[in-house]
Amino acid sequence: MSKLSFRARALDAAKPLPIYRNKDLPDLNDCVSINRAVPQMPTGMEKEEESEHHLQRAISAQSVFREKKENMVIPVPEAESNITYYDRLYKGELRIPKQLFHIQPLGLDNEQPDYDMDSEDEILLNRLNRKMEIKPIQFETMVDRLEKASTNQMVTITEAKLLLNEDDYLLKAVYDYWVRKRKNCRGPSLIPLIKLEKRDGSTNNDAYVAFRRRTEKMQTRKNRKNDEASYEKMLKLRREFSRTVTILEMIKRREKSKRELLHLTLEVVEKRYQMGDFTGEVLSEVTAPLAEKPVYTVPITVTNGNRHNHKAEIKIKSGGLPYHGYHHVSVKDEDPFDFVRPKKKYTRREPLCRPGRPAKRQHIVNKADIKQYDFHSSGEEDYPLSPSSEPDEENDPDGTFAFRRKAGCHYLAPCLDQTSGLLWDHPELAGLDALRHRQSLTALSVPQRCVGLARRRVGRGGRVLLDRASSDLDGVLKQLDSGVFSSSFPKGLSDHQVPTQNHRTMPGSASSLTDLLSNIQALRWRFFRPRSTQGDDSGEGRTGRPSMDNRLSGGLFVHTKNSGSGGITEEQYQVHQQALAQMQKQQLAQLQLKTAGSTDCIISKTLDSAGAHFAASAVISAPGQVNNENKPDNTSVNGVVQPLVESLPPHSTSTSQGGTGLDRSGRTPSSGGPLLPASHSTTPQSLPNHRGHGSAVSPAHHHHNARPSPSSLKLATMATSSLDRVPKVTPAISSMARDNHEPERLALNGISETTVPMEVT
Amino acid sequence: LFFIFNPSPARGLLVGLHYVCPRLSLIYIFNIFFRQVDVIEGCRLPVLRKNQENEDEWPLAEILSVKEIPGRKLYYVHYIDFNKRLDEWVTPERLDMKKLQFPKKEAKTPTKNGLPGSRPSSPEREVPQAQQKCLPTKTSISDFQVLQQQVQPPTITVRLCFDFLSPLFKFSQNGTARRPMPNQPGRKRKQPPNCGGTDEDSQDSSDGIPSAPRMTGSLVSDRSHDDIVTRMKNIDCIELGRHRLKPWYFSPYPQELTTLPILYLCEFCLKYLKSLKCLQRHLTKCNLRHPPGNEIYRKGTISFFEIDGRKNKTYSQNLCLLAKCFLDHKTLYYDTDPFLFYVMTEYDSKGFHIVGYFSKEKESTEDYNVACILTLPPYQRRGYGKLLIEFSYELSKVEGKTGTPEKPLSDLGLLSYRSYWSQTILEILMDLKPDNGERPQITINEISEITSVKKEDVISTLQYLNLINYYKGQYILTLSEDIVEGHERAMQKRHLPIDPKCLHFTPKDWSKRGKW
Repeated sequence: MSKLSFRARALDAAKPLPIYRNKDLPDLNDCVSINRAVPQMPTGMEKEEESEHHLQRAISAQSVFREKKENMVIPVPEAESNITYYDRLYKGELRIPKQLFHIQPLGLDNEQPDYDMDSEDEILLNRLNRKMEIKPIQFETMVDRLEKASTNQMVTITEAKLLLNEDDYLLKAVYDYWVRKRKNCRGPSLIPLIKLEKRDGSTNNDAYVAFRRRTEKMQTRKNRKNDEASYEKMLKLRREFSRTVTILEMIKRREKSKRELLHLTLEVVEKRYQMGDFTGEVLSEVTAPLAEKPVYTVPITVTNGNRHNHKAEIKIKSGGLPYHGYHHVSVKDEDPFDFVRPKKKYTRREPLCRPGRPAKRQHIVNKADIKQYDFHSSGEEDYPLSPSSEPDEENDPDGTFAFRRKAGCHYLAPCLDQTSGLLWDHPELAGLDALRHRQSLTALSVPQRCVGLARRRVGRGGRVLLDRASSDLDGVLKQLDSGVFSSSFPKGLSDHQVPTQNHRTMPGSASSLTDLLSNIQALRWRFFRPRSTQGDDSGEGRTGRPSMDNRLSGGLFVHTKNSGSGGITEEQYQVHQQALAQMQKQQLAQLQLKTAGSTDCIISKTLDSAGAHFAASAVISAPGQVNNENKPDNTSVNGVVQPLVESLPPHSTSTSQGGTGLDRSGRTPSSGGPLLPASHSTTPQSLPNHRGHGSAVSPAHHHHNARPSPSSLKLATMATSSLDRVPKVTPAISSMARDNHEPERLALNGISETTVPMEVT
Repeated sequence: LFFIFNPSPARGLLVGLHYVCPRLSLIYIFNIFFRQVDVIEGCRLPVLRKNQENEDEWPLAEILSVKEIPGRKLYYVHYIDFNKRLDEWVTPERLDMKKLQFPKKEAKTPTKNGLPGSRPSSPEREVPQAQQKCLPTKTSISDFQVLQQQVQPPTITVRLCFDFLSPLFKFSQNGTARRPMPNQPGRKRKQPPNCGGTDEDSQDSSDGIPSAPRMTGSLVSDRSHDDIVTRMKNIDCIELGRHRLKPWYFSPYPQELTTLPILYLCEFCLKYLKSLKCLQRHLTKCNLRHPPGNEIYRKGTISFFEIDGRKNKTYSQNLCLLAKCFLDHKTLYYDTDPFLFYVMTEYDSKGFHIVGYFSKEKESTEDYNVACILTLPPYQRRGYGKLLIEFSYELSKVEGKTGTPEKPLSDLGLLSYRSYWSQTILEILMDLKPDNGERPQITINEISEITSVKKEDVISTLQYLNLINYYKGQYILTLSEDIVEGHERAMQKRHLPIDPKCLHFTPKDWSKRGKW
């Protein structure tokens, strides 16, 4: 029936195959031959081996008998399983655990030596053991280390000594033994190891080289391209990561050295303080031979002044000033060519005198000191050729608004010669040219005093900034500011002034207060002054806390104490000290400040906000308080007052401010003002900076008494706007509406009120 | 006279030679006779061995190597048409010198280029000394001059003598056979000295011989790398736990260990040690009592451990070295990274003793579910091999793939797999019940899906069992009585099935893990 007359179809794997038993198909034999139509599948063996005798025999035996026959199996070399010492060799038993074994891949190596002692070693060990105790494992570890250290060359005895921390006798014995044994050893190592491939390909055909690395080529077919791309990406990523790691390491190192520097600085300052080196003479003596490279730092900004100023203290020539340095503002007016120069000054900072030690507070700035000072402030040779990077950004909330040196810019100090060309050296120009010389006499109501020459401008966020200018008239103006708020002029004003002006005065300037006042009255000078308000202004705040008010003078104007005309009495000062001490106690124990007064000199990172506000309120309210008794007709708050307001008689009594004006130095810049601690900061972490800033600035006060710097004024206004809750304040100030004093006054009243609760917290 | 003095089976030749060259000096003749006549590599002659019934048989064998140990010579022989695993060192007494055949030149020609598929029965070598046929009458003088100049001073008589003798006997100065350097031209040193050794590995070199095995899989299919070194067993004996194993094939254990009478292995970590003392010391430090992997199966005393060839290199390499002793086509050329090793163990109170293993590529491009598979000799022929195979298919079932063992199969591998396939397929076929009175039927694909056996293997098994028949215009499967009976007998013997419920195995997608 089924003949080979037709061609059998190919076997279809997807087609069902009916299953028959042979007995069901009596006629099956007819179709056996068709079997050939199914292509023979390869066995998968190598042809040569397929024909091997034993296999063929076994296959045929299987096909005949359908089962294995004992004598038809493929013969293999024999194996024995009668190792009698097995139980002695493999000691211990293992109970089968319930859980399946799960291996932690890392838990395997217990750092056992790979070298295993042989009987030859045992002989040596026995010999050594007569003299000392040495365990087999110890010996193995030694040999293991020696072996692993001798990849190319055998280690020498000296290297071995470093490698093996053993006593000399043992080491020598083992080392010599090892050298001998290794020389006799036929293999490359006493630890038998698989031959490794050599990368030069010379071992490609060495039969004993095994487990070669695979080449980089990808094994997978589908994603080969992707794999290679991603492999390259991974390589790149790896490179970049390692670079990042390097950079981070370097940052870590840098920050460490910065911290080191800080601590050193601190130490220097403390040492200087202890030895009373307030003039910096000792320091300059010590540092002079070092020919120290000038270090330029980011100029003082509102918040980062702390650290920075400490640095400035040890580095004689260094020390930055904010953009709003005063001295040169007028320079700018007169000489545009010098515009860039005033931006940076090099001041020499003194550690702040501690109010707690009146004896030490006394600081007479002598001529030489000032000379030195001037020298440094104007020394052209100190100018930076390149800006140094002060990477203290994280402590700098001013962020992008902080002043930064520009690369390639030369920041020049003001030329001394130019000061003679200042506006105030030619007072006759002042009034006449008011528009051009926009620096005007300005008074504040809180604190109630004249801030000297200032120029208003609108800062960020509508804040009013007062750019202050220093002039030789400052001393006079100091007296003026009390006079502004008091009804009477001090009679002996000029007497005070003359002895305290220990810098050269401008011959052409109106050096007497009377001249000045007459200038003002004659409208030759503009004088902005708060308009007078009711007598209750800021009264309760100040009267309720006289001690705090005094703190300003105590803390910041310490030198005024003994300057003859100081308005702060000894007892006022003591009261203030006590108040401060109380404050300290309230503060956390971690405060490292020894006394309240010492906060000024120490990096006040531990100061909390309460302390800052405490100080701030003191600064703000102190002058007002001082003046309060004298000036019932106190004029409006914080505003600028037209010079034509008659109610400010420019006669000052012998108030503290008047006293502080004694030893001013008109051209020495100072970066901080007494108002500085009052800065706005409501965030605790920024407070210390302010505090420190104030303290760092303090040396300038020796020369510039009580004259708030523009930056400090700015701070004050910022403090105002942030402390009180009257939102109108800022626009009011910024509007510079001279007549719109009412909200401003309210605002300032707010300061003293709000500071009270904040002190408590 | 010659007959008296000639102890050698080759005396007949000498007699003939005497006639051809009657002027030969007697001294030389004596020299020849009192030295042992050298049987050189490549010679073929019957060699005595015992068969399984312990009877003497004289299969034809080829001399692969000669070595002289103090007192006597030993010959490494390969029995023609027997597997290499039976190759052995024999004493001269077992050689039937009467039937000595000298190497034929033609024998090598088909395999000269190492073409796959036709493996030479003897390793390739350059035998410049013995390129001629054995009959001196067929030789030409010029053929031999180069050679004999190295050996003897060029006196006329000597040369005349050796012109004829050199193809027959080799006189070596030290008495040992001069092992021909396995310097196959075009194979060795063909790489430029500055080659990186990596890029060219996978490429065929100019003369068409691959310089390195393919990188997938773990078996080599061609014998182009089969030189005299790898052709011979290099380890005499391995002691592993309770067992002493006689290796079957070459294994690249450190060369200094190959001269040892016994190589000791730690039973659990498989570390190789040169002496029992070292093993003893090692055992104080090695606290393994099972293969260092995750146990993914346990039923009764049988456990399976999974070992990642990348993560546990030392064990994987040690396992490969051991396995190579029993697997001819296995290559250890490359590292073990792309493989997983499944080690089957049998538990007793001492620990989990290795019985066998199979390796598996983490990613196979050719549906391989087994790369190498081995039951250690002491456990062979007891069903463990089938268990290993079954387990490999259980893994494939979990993976949802069909798989096949990597080729080439060895003889034992073929038998084992065929046996497993036959039993598995027959079981399915016999279990099929008639459906609604209809004759049960099944497709090859269905069989493949059920068993995870690759379709081609199913077909070849059906073929091998002679089940496929063409009947009335269609293919049918027929089950003959002897097949059914044979299967039932075999199933009775099979007492160790893998229990899929005891398998705790989650396949990993290695392609997504990047490099293995």
